[in-house]
Amino acid sequence: MSAEYPDGETSEVNLVTAVRDTLAQELRRDESVRLLGYDMGPIGGVFRATEGLYEEFGENRVIDTPLSENGILGTAAGMAMRGQRVVPEIQFLGFFYPAFGQFMYTVSKMHERTGGGFEMPLTVRVPYGGGIKSSEYHSESTESFFVHTPGVRVVCPSTPAETKGLLAASIRSDDPVMFLEPKAVYRAGTQEVPEDDYTLPLDESRTVREGSDITVLSWGARVRHAEAAADQVDADVEILDLRTLSPLPVEDVLDSVKKTGRCVIFHEARRTLGLGAELSALINEYAIDRLQAPIKRATGYDVHFPSHQTEEAYLPDEQRAADAIEAVMSYEY
Amino acid sequence: MAKWTESKPDPDFSQVLAPDGTVDGDAPVDEETMLRMYETMKVSRRYDEKTLSLQRRGEISILSRSWGEEAIPVGSAAALEEGDWCFPTYRQTPSKLYWGGPLDRSLAGLMGHEPETIEEHLPVPDEEALPVNFSPVYIPLASNVTNAVGSAMADKFEDEDAVTLSYIGDGSSSQGDFYEALNFAGVFDAPAVTICHNNQWAISVPAHRQTAAETFAQKAEAAGIPHERVDGNDVFAVYEATKRAVDRARAGEGPTLLECVTYRVDDHNTADDAGAYRDESQQAFWAERDPVDRLEAYLRSADLIDDAAIEAIEEDADERVEAAVDRAREVPADDPARIFDNHLQSESWNERHQREELRAEQRGENPFTDFTGEGL
Ligand SMILES: Cc1ncc(C[n+]2csc(CCOP(=O)(O)OP(=O)(O)O)c2C)c(N)n1
Repeated sequence: MSAEYPDGETSEVNLVTAVRDTLAQELRRDESVRLLGYDMGPIGGVFRATEGLYEEFGENRVIDTPLSENGILGTAAGMAMRGQRVVPEIQFLGFFYPAFGQFMYTVSKMHERTGGGFEMPLTVRVPYGGGIKSSEYHSESTESFFVHTPGVRVVCPSTPAETKGLLAASIRSDDPVMFLEPKAVYRAGTQEVPEDDYTLPLDESRTVREGSDITVLSWGARVRHAEAAADQVDADVEILDLRTLSPLPVEDVLDSVKKTGRCVIFHEARRTLGLGAELSALINEYAIDRLQAPIKRATGYDVHFPSHQTEEAYLPDEQRAADAIEAVMSYEY
Repeated sequence: MAKWTESKPDPDFSQVLAPDGTVDGDAPVDEETMLRMYETMKVSRRYDEKTLSLQRRGEISILSRSWGEEAIPVGSAAALEEGDWCFPTYRQTPSKLYWGGPLDRSLAGLMGHEPETIEEHLPVPDEEALPVNFSPVYIPLASNVTNAVGSAMADKFEDEDAVTLSYIGDGSSSQGDFYEALNFAGVFDAPAVTICHNNQWAISVPAHRQTAAETFAQKAEAAGIPHERVDGNDVFAVYEATKRAVDRARAGEGPTLLECVTYRVDDHNTADDAGAYRDESQQAFWAERDPVDRLEAYLRSADLIDDAAIEAIEEDADERVEAAVDRAREVPADDPARIFDNHLQSESWNERHQREELRAEQRGENPFTDFTGEGL
């Protein structure tokens, strides 16, 4: 993989600030960039990811809309068809569902059905995932719906520096991108992030750490639990942060699993037809003769996201990751 | 920082109870109903105060309150009759309170318990079932309104004379579901009454950013259904308008949209800070129109209550809320395996297997050791 971070000044920021700074940078860089969503005005979004942008760029660049997800996505698609580079925000992934009509009918398909005639340069920003003890529909991690849809990219950063490079690349890309922001780590820590512009490739994973015994595939807010699990187990663990969920960085995955011979997939979404199912199938199809053990999926369960008293039992944590790694390590044919 | 401006609403709405608590002519409800309206609002206020303090202490995660808007749920719920249906969102707890809804269960929900745990530890015996039926509170905005119209359609097809009432916020009336619901209601002549709380804000977005229409009531025009606009801080006006709509619906004359004009006195929820986006100088204007003070002034002038009666009502409200908090606190921690409950009517391999995995994890064992599919 090729993380091309520029030299020069850096500043220490958290993930949500990296989002904000990148949006500001892109708004400055390209006149056609427009943000839209509700609560973007004076408060700068319920997570403050657009704080100050309304003041700096005005109401025609940072557009506060009526409360309508399908309206936001549909008008964003129309603007994108007319040459604007649009960055709609959906307040929580659990409230994306009203927008599924436009997502399926136009956003993901317009480019293909016109034989490439219309571009769809939009980047849908959505806070996603659990772990914040909120109410119903505020904790969804249904990335599979998007990964299952052709014609869109799905990107999910896990660190502030990645966020900057991936978000800039997404906005500059002519493809529609679902940009999933792991809100559990919006403010979970800071990192030195280069102040100059940079982009990161939209189809490569990040090797979080190299190892020779087992590969752990993860993304989003779970990556830090994978790291903690790797510290705890008696094995040399390689961790890939997929960061681009569609198209999948298949070669990175296969290379790593072929090297280590074992794999655990670690995600917070439900297990059945969660992205782990696809990853496991891919590895079976193209690397089965290198596997020294079955692949295990350490995931959420096949249930609706639970109430906040029980969400910890649902969410896979470092212990669940460590158990999966240990079980796979202990397997012998 | 630029703040949204807001306008005082045009007072082109129906009003019965003036802001000073006087009524021109007779009040539209009997004494017993008036007192029940007043008591319900008082309990609601107490509940709002108490839940806020529980939230601050970390016993509740996030909270949206009814403060200042109680006349809408109370006045409208009072217009319903036994067997009717109500589809609320998070801001209409007082509707359910009016019909005797148990506070302890709402509190346990706010405390993050699974519904099955609440059912088990705070059951409502059949004989205490509420006379008016309530759907669960909806979180995804506007999805309740389409369901409510469906409920009304079911009654129509079954020749039942029940009416279904649902609520929506001004912001939520921008959702497709809302228009779709009104359209179905009109086409099928459904006995559905939809109430829009125009409290002028959808989190930080002011009403004039939701629509260029002059009123929210007008949105019913396109669906071909009648609409009215009332003073949402006037519990009698809300009652009267809802009663007209409910009577029409029950008589087979179809749906109505009501817009109740009010103001969200509080922050949107406990994670919000309204001062950051709106001009709070409007607060004084609205404080003078407080729905509880207004009804209280009327009840006093009609000699239905005095200081002693008010004190007794407040004490009673306090006791009811405290007792409910005690009962909700006694609900034991949820069994984590509850998360699997009530997904499907039959068992499946996946469910059995995942339950087993969770149990193993809870016992501190490794849940990944099944390599044959035969169980741990
Ligand atoms: C479909 C959907 N989108 C977004 C949200 C998040 N959300 C919860 S309340 C709210 C504002 C609602 O405003 P309004 O409809 O005016 O009702 P009010 O809260 O003012 O009573 C938003 C955006 C949601 N619950 N559902």
